[in-house]
Amino acid sequence: MKTKRRSFLKGLLGVGAGAAVVPMVANTATASGNKEPSDNHMGMFYDATLCIGCKACEVACKKANDLKPEYGNYDIGGINNLDSTIWDAPGDLSVNTINIIKLYQEGETHSFIKKQCMHCVDANCVSGCPTTALIKQDNGAVTWEEDACVGCRYCQMDCPFNIPKFEFNHYYGKIVKCQLCADNGLLDKNRTACTDVCPSKAVIFGKLKDLKAEAHHRLAADPARYNGQVYGDTEGGGLGVIYLSKVPFEKLGLPKLKNFSYAAVSEGVQHTLYKGMIAPIVAYAVIVFAAFKTLSKNKENH
Amino acid sequence: MEHLDPKPTGGKIFTPPILGMLLVFAVCAYFLILRYANGIGTVTNLTDHMSWGIWKVIGVIVGAALVCGGYACAFTVYVFNGWKYHRFVRPAILLSLLGYSFAGLSLAYDVGRYWGLFNFFIPKYWQGNSVLFEVAICVMSYILILSIEVGPSILEKFFSPEKADNLAAKLHAFLNKVLFLTLGFGVVLPTMHQSGLGGLALVMGEKISPLWQTPFVSLLHLISCIAMGYGCVIATEVLFANNYKDKDQMNLLGQFANLMKIFVVVFLALRWIEIIRAGGVGLAFDFGSGYLDAYSFWIEMLLFLVGLYFVWSKSAQSSAKNIFFGGWLIMLGGSLYRINVYIIGFHPEAGVSYFPSLPELIISIGMVCLQIAIFITIVKLFPIITKK
Ligand code: SF4
Ligand code: SF4
Ligand code: SF4
Repeated sequence: MKTKRRSFLKGLLGVGAGAAVVPMVANTATASGNKEPSDNHMGMFYDATLCIGCKACEVACKKANDLKPEYGNYDIGGINNLDSTIWDAPGDLSVNTINIIKLYQEGETHSFIKKQCMHCVDANCVSGCPTTALIKQDNGAVTWEEDACVGCRYCQMDCPFNIPKFEFNHYYGKIVKCQLCADNGLLDKNRTACTDVCPSKAVIFGKLKDLKAEAHHRLAADPARYNGQVYGDTEGGGLGVIYLSKVPFEKLGLPKLKNFSYAAVSEGVQHTLYKGMIAPIVAYAVIVFAAFKTLSKNKENH
Repeated sequence: MEHLDPKPTGGKIFTPPILGMLLVFAVCAYFLILRYANGIGTVTNLTDHMSWGIWKVIGVIVGAALVCGGYACAFTVYVFNGWKYHRFVRPAILLSLLGYSFAGLSLAYDVGRYWGLFNFFIPKYWQGNSVLFEVAICVMSYILILSIEVGPSILEKFFSPEKADNLAAKLHAFLNKVLFLTLGFGVVLPTMHQSGLGGLALVMGEKISPLWQTPFVSLLHLISCIAMGYGCVIATEVLFANNYKDKDQMNLLGQFANLMKIFVVVFLALRWIEIIRAGGVGLAFDFGSGYLDAYSFWIEMLLFLVGLYFVWSKSAQSSAKNIFFGGWLIMLGGSLYRINVYIIGFHPEAGVSYFPSLPELIISIGMVCLQIAIFITIVKLFPIITKK
C-alpha cells in the first residue's frame, strides 16, 4: 500500500512538473503573436532628422503639466552658470522633466533625440502593475492613476525605457511620467503640448496607424536620409511613439529590443499556469487528500 | 523510535544577545521614522534606475525564500508521508510565520504609497495579469495559514492534557481537526508565490543579464527555495536542538541534507542548461565588463558547490558540522542567486549601479535582529522544539 501511494504521488509530481514546464517553452516560441494597436490609438512620431534641438517641446510640456524647472550646473559659452537659477536645464528625465531633447554627437555626425513615455502597445508597466494604477487607455495613452498606486516601483523595474520616475524625496511620493497629455485635457482635444509647438514638425501627433504610414512613406521616399528602420514598429511588441533617424537608434539611447513584449511572455506563463485556477485547485485537493491520509494513519499509530 | 513531544526550552529571556539585538532594532526604528517623515530617498541609495534595493530584494524575495523550511517540511512530512520528520515541523513553521510576516513588513516600508496597500483588498484594483499581484495575495494568505498552523503550539501553553476543557483546549482540538485543510494551502500557496518571486523577473526582459534571465527563472526560484528550506531546517535544528546523543535527530537531518543535495543538483543543472542556451557563458568570464556580474556569478556557484561538497557523501551527511555548514552555504548561495537576478545582474542602463546606504542596511539588519529575538523568545516560552 505504502509503495503504491508513493509511486502514485511521484507520478503526479512528474505530471505537475511537466505541466509547469511545457507552457513556458511553448510560450516563448509563440511570443511573436503581438497585440495589434487599435484604430483608435493615438500616438506621436519623431523624425530626428528634422529636429533642430530648440527644446520648445520641453518648455511646452513643463508648462502644460505644471512641472518645476531644474536648474543645471552648466558652463555654457564661457559664461559660468554653476548653480544657475536662470534657466531650466535638466540633464535627464526626472520627476520634473517628463520630456527631454538630448544631443548625440560623434565626430561630424550629430543628432537630437526626444525622450518621453513610448505608450507601448503591450506595455510591461501596465502588465506588471499589481493594482491597476497604469492603464492602457482606449485612445492609446498609457496613464498612471494616483489613487490606485502602491508605490511598489515595479513599473520602474520593468519599463524597457526607464520612463516612470518616482518622487523618492517625498514622504508619500508619486510616479511621474508622460501621460500623452491625458491629464491636462489636451489629449481629449486631439492635441499634445509638445507636438503643438514643434516649429520644424519633427514631432507630430496623430492616429498611430496614420503616423506609421507616414513614417514608412518617408523612409521609402528618401532611403538615404534614414537608417532604414522605423523604431517602434515591432520593438518591444510595438510602441505608441515611433522614430526615424539617420544615426543608429542604439546610439541615441533607444535600446535594441526583441520584436515582442516581455509582458506577453510573463502573462503567457501566468495564464497557462493559473488558467481558471484549475491547476492550483487540483494540486490543493491532491495534497489535502494525501495529508488527510498521512495524518489519520499517524493518529492511529499514536 | 521513542515518542518525543516538543517542549519550551526555558531560560532567561533578556540575555545579553537578545538585548544587543533589541538595541540594533532601536537604531533601525530611528531611521524608519526618518523614512516615513521624509521619504525613501532620504535613507536609501535607491534611484529611478535601480529602484528595488535590499528592502525588497533581501527583505522580501530572499527573506521569504530563507524561511521556506515550513514549506519544505510540509511537503516532506504530509505529502511524501515522511511522518518521521514530524518533529521538525513546528520550529520550521514558526520561523516561516515570522519570516513571512517580516517580509510583509519589509514591503510595507519599502512601498512609497503604503496606504495603497489596502488596494490589494479592493476588487476594482485587482490586476490578475500582474505577477506581483499574485505574489502579494499568495503571501498574505500564506501568513494567515501559517498562523493557523502555529496556533496549536501557542495554545498548548494554556491548558494541560489532563484538564483539557477550557477555550484554549477546544480551539486546539478544532485546529487539529482542520489541520489537513490548511496543509493543502501550506503547499500550494508557497509553490505559487515562490515561483512568482522569480516570475517577477520575466517582464524585466533584457534588463537582466542572460546569466540570470531565462523563461525558467520562476522554476529556478522554486527549486532553490526548497533547497534553502531544507538548509534552514538543518541550521535551526542544529543550533537549537543539537544533542550529540540524539542519533535519531542526526539521522533525520542527514536525510534532509540528502534531499537538499538533490534539489541543488537539479537547480545547478537547469541553471547551466539555460545559461548555455541563452549564450551567457562568455559573460561568466567577462571580468572586465565594469560590472560585478562575473564575480558575483562565480561566488554564487562556489557557495552552491562548496555547500554540496559538505553534504555530498552519506558519511558527510551524518556529521552535524558538515550539514550545518552545508545548509548555511546553500542558503547563502540561494540568497546571492536572488540578489544577482534583481540587483547585480540588473542593468537598466549602461553605468548605473546600486549599493545600499548605511541607514538602509541598518533598517534591514535591525528587522532581522528583531525577528531572531522574537523567535528565540517564543522557543523559550512555548512548546516548539523537540529535544531529548
Ligand atoms: S515606455 Fe515604459 S512607462 Fe511608457 S508605456 Fe512603455 S513600459 Fe510603460
Ligand atoms: S509603483 Fe504604482 S504604478 Fe508603478 S507598478 Fe507599482 S503600483 Fe503600479
Ligand atoms: S505628450 Fe504631453 S506629457 Fe507627453 S511629452 Fe508631450 S507634452 Fe509632455
